[in-house]
Amino acid sequence: MKTLQRILGPLLLALATLLTLFPVYWLVTLSLKREVDQFAVPPIWLRFTPTLAHYYDIFFVRSFGAYLAHSVVVAGVSTLLALAIGSLAAYSLARFPRPGLAFWILSNRMFPPIVSVIPLLLMLRWAKLLNSLAALIVVYTAFNLPFVVWMMRSFFEEIPVDLEEAAMMDGQTRLGALWRVVLPLVRPGLAATAAFCLVIGWNEFLFAFLVAQTDAAMTLPVGIAGRVTQYEIKWGAMSAAGVVAMLPVFAFAAAMQKHLVRGLSLGAVKG
Amino acid sequence: MKQGRIWLAPAVVALAALSIYPLLFAIEVSLRTGSGYGLDNYFRLARDRFFLVSLGQTLLYTTLALAVEFPLGLTLALLVDREFRGRRLLRSILLIPMLLPPVVVAVIWRLILNAEFGVLNGALRSLGLDTSGLTWFGSEKSAMLSVVLVDVWEWTPFLFLLLLAGLQGLPVEPFEAARIDGASPSQVFLRLTLPMLRPVIAVAVLLRGMDLLRVFDQIFILTQGGPGFATETVTLYIYRTAFRYWNFGYAAAMSFVLLAATTVIARAFLRLLRQHPA
Repeated sequence: MKTLQRILGPLLLALATLLTLFPVYWLVTLSLKREVDQFAVPPIWLRFTPTLAHYYDIFFVRSFGAYLAHSVVVAGVSTLLALAIGSLAAYSLARFPRPGLAFWILSNRMFPPIVSVIPLLLMLRWAKLLNSLAALIVVYTAFNLPFVVWMMRSFFEEIPVDLEEAAMMDGQTRLGALWRVVLPLVRPGLAATAAFCLVIGWNEFLFAFLVAQTDAAMTLPVGIAGRVTQYEIKWGAMSAAGVVAMLPVFAFAAAMQKHLVRGLSLGAVKG
Repeated sequence: MKQGRIWLAPAVVALAALSIYPLLFAIEVSLRTGSGYGLDNYFRLARDRFFLVSLGQTLLYTTLALAVEFPLGLTLALLVDREFRGRRLLRSILLIPMLLPPVVVAVIWRLILNAEFGVLNGALRSLGLDTSGLTWFGSEKSAMLSVVLVDVWEWTPFLFLLLLAGLQGLPVEPFEAARIDGASPSQVFLRLTLPMLRPVIAVAVLLRGMDLLRVFDQIFILTQGGPGFATETVTLYIYRTAFRYWNFGYAAAMSFVLLAATTVIARAFLRLLRQHPA
């Protein structure tokens, strides 16, 4: 039994690793293969003549360069806004607790997004914001706010009050104390929270799909989805676009490693 | 003192405008009828065969996915919960799928599981196997299992991560005592690990279950609910009702029924856990 376990365990883990990595690896190879090699039977696992034609195609023939820029702007700006507004509220709740209000803020995350999609769309149409980056920034900021408040509140609570009180004794305003004393101390938590918000904004599909249907504000996931659901899939272009959409996530992941569990329990990553 | 409290205002205003207002609006729209207000939309739901089928399929999808993801996630967590070289790297690798954009995950699997040109059927064919029966997303018979398969790949890491964190948070002493008393590994697992892990299991399964009930992105890209109606879930039907048939009131009513069902299931699940202490 024990020896069986000693062999079976590592074997299972190796298998899980293989099954996790292969699909990602396969997407990358497809994006670099010439069309004849993509559909070869038997499949070409390792050796093929690489080409960047599909990347050229998505950036210079199709408008994926613009989609990429939209995704960067929307995820980046909404993250900054949510961090600014959310951290202020989180600090306030950490120092002057109001359990009822805090819970209300979190409960905003519990609703299935599909419930608020319709009224939000009508609001955005009324504000003449449909098909604009501003619409997505506003929606994602609101989307991330409850999450930022809860994450940052727990980080602020770990900082002793004495520090900022000492700073205020020395003539700092509360805002000054927060900015110069408290924020530098919670920087790792702030970075992790930012990484979560970035992933959520970067990966989000449903709202972007409904709110930004023209090239003026289309994000990467919507651009990809729009071409996949048509009859023909452009394999090379799709896999190249998929790789582009996938890469930044690895960088974000590194930043949130330590706080992944805390963030996930609050419903991050999945919107 | 006052300054610190006023800082709540921007967040509260933003949430009220972009979260509370839409919610109230959705309630209002769902109650509108041709001549005023009433529960017509909700009564209509009870007779809507498509809605009932999509609700059943949502429950099936959730159950199947959880039935595979939980044991698999727990097994992986148990295997990684010990000291060995490369453990941190392995943990990071196993987490990759859930961090990827769902749209990209769906694209990957559509390419891999394509019945004609996909690498899986291609590999099987080159081994001399007949793959004409392996239609994956292409036929009503296999589509549901195929979308569940993709969910398993994407979200087992979530359960793995939460359960692993739970395992690592368990106190060491009871396990040492058990070893001194000569308890067998299976005894330790059934009598110590599982009962002590219960709260974490509850939270992990609950969070995953609630997300499963509102699944949208992957299925939308993989099959759009098809072929036919084979993988239509409630969220897809809501989407279709609102944005293909432009019936906002009916779609809103549906989304509240989904919300209610989610709440009821979550509560029943929690009660079940409390009633059967290990």
